[in-house]
Amino acid sequence: MADKGGRTHQSDVPVDDLKKERDAFIQQFFRKGAQLTEELLRENERLRDKVSEVESENGKLVAHLASDTAIRDLIRKIEDLETEKQDLLKRHARVEADTTRIDVDYREIEGELANLANLYVASTQLHSARTVRTCIRNLKELLAQFLGAAEFAVYMVSDDKTELLAIASEGVNPDAIARIPIADGPLSDTFRSGRLYTGTAADTSKGSFADPAAVVPMQLDGRTVGIIAIFGTLTQKTEFIHVDNELFKLLGAQAAPALVNARLFADAGRKVPGVQAFLAAED
Amino acid sequence: MAAEYSCLIVEDSPMMRQLLVFALARVKNLRVTEADDGVDGLRKLASTKYDVIITDINMPIMDGLKLVKRVRSDPVHKDTPIIIITTEGSQEDRQRALQLGANAYITKPIQAPQVIAKVKELLKID
Repeated sequence: MADKGGRTHQSDVPVDDLKKERDAFIQQFFRKGAQLTEELLRENERLRDKVSEVESENGKLVAHLASDTAIRDLIRKIEDLETEKQDLLKRHARVEADTTRIDVDYREIEGELANLANLYVASTQLHSARTVRTCIRNLKELLAQFLGAAEFAVYMVSDDKTELLAIASEGVNPDAIARIPIADGPLSDTFRSGRLYTGTAADTSKGSFADPAAVVPMQLDGRTVGIIAIFGTLTQKTEFIHVDNELFKLLGAQAAPALVNARLFADAGRKVPGVQAFLAAED
Repeated sequence: MAAEYSCLIVEDSPMMRQLLVFALARVKNLRVTEADDGVDGLRKLASTKYDVIITDINMPIMDGLKLVKRVRSDPVHKDTPIIIITTEGSQEDRQRALQLGANAYITKPIQAPQVIAKVKELLKID
């Protein structure tokens, strides 16, 4: 290195070289500095992008988290609703079952009311007759219209209790069935036993004299005084149903008293006994 | 207020009339009038318009077929539903009645539920 007087310093390196070396160093230093700065700037930029990216990711995660909560709430709500729906379905099924049961009960009650109406009308018509002729007419109509009887006869026992005499008939030859000796067969058996007979044929419209569809014993004062023989029913009436059996009972209990009352009333000249006849009654 | 319906029963048998009246008592808001035969039925139709008519086929004085014919030729009653009561064997009468304008038929022996159902159907009652 040289001083101002051009002298060289103790070093053997010339001054120019030192200068060059210094300049080169400085240039390199600045270049490296600039390079480092650029790198730092780039790194900074990259980090900034990264931060932004992370922030964005973070935002998304926060949103996702919030969304997850909402979904969880919704799922819970759906589960609640599903439970409620199942509960409602069960209740609906119960109500439906109740409705069906009530409907069945209602129909049964309607049927029973209709049956009771039939029995009431039958009883009223039997006992409203004041002449034997009207009583028999009503009895025949009852057998035809209520029971669907097509061939039938009403018998009273003879005074000597040896035979049954037809007092009314329909759909059969009156001469052929007019007198029945009390011997064997469903008619006689029913009269003797006082128990209802129902035929063996599956189809009541196909009954016959030998095997009638039904034979009803007519009772009065605990005695059998006659029978109603239904030999066959209308073609569309192929079986006896519940109400028919009730009608059999009604006829068994009320037909004979109605006939006898009508006879006695007519015999008494259609006169109602005076009140004394009832006040003094012992029998 | 519920609508009120009216029904005319034309039947010569008091027993059948009573049975029909009892059956139709189960139909709410239905007023029932009875007539003994076709002539009595026409007499009642002359003064009143009914919502439905039930008539037997076999009746004295004027039978059900004549009644159906007369009702259908009357401008006042030509659209009134008519139910005829027949027996299973009288298919010709039934066909004739339907041709004359009857709307439906019931076969004897009468079952109350059938009568109720038929009347409700024609009156369009639930």
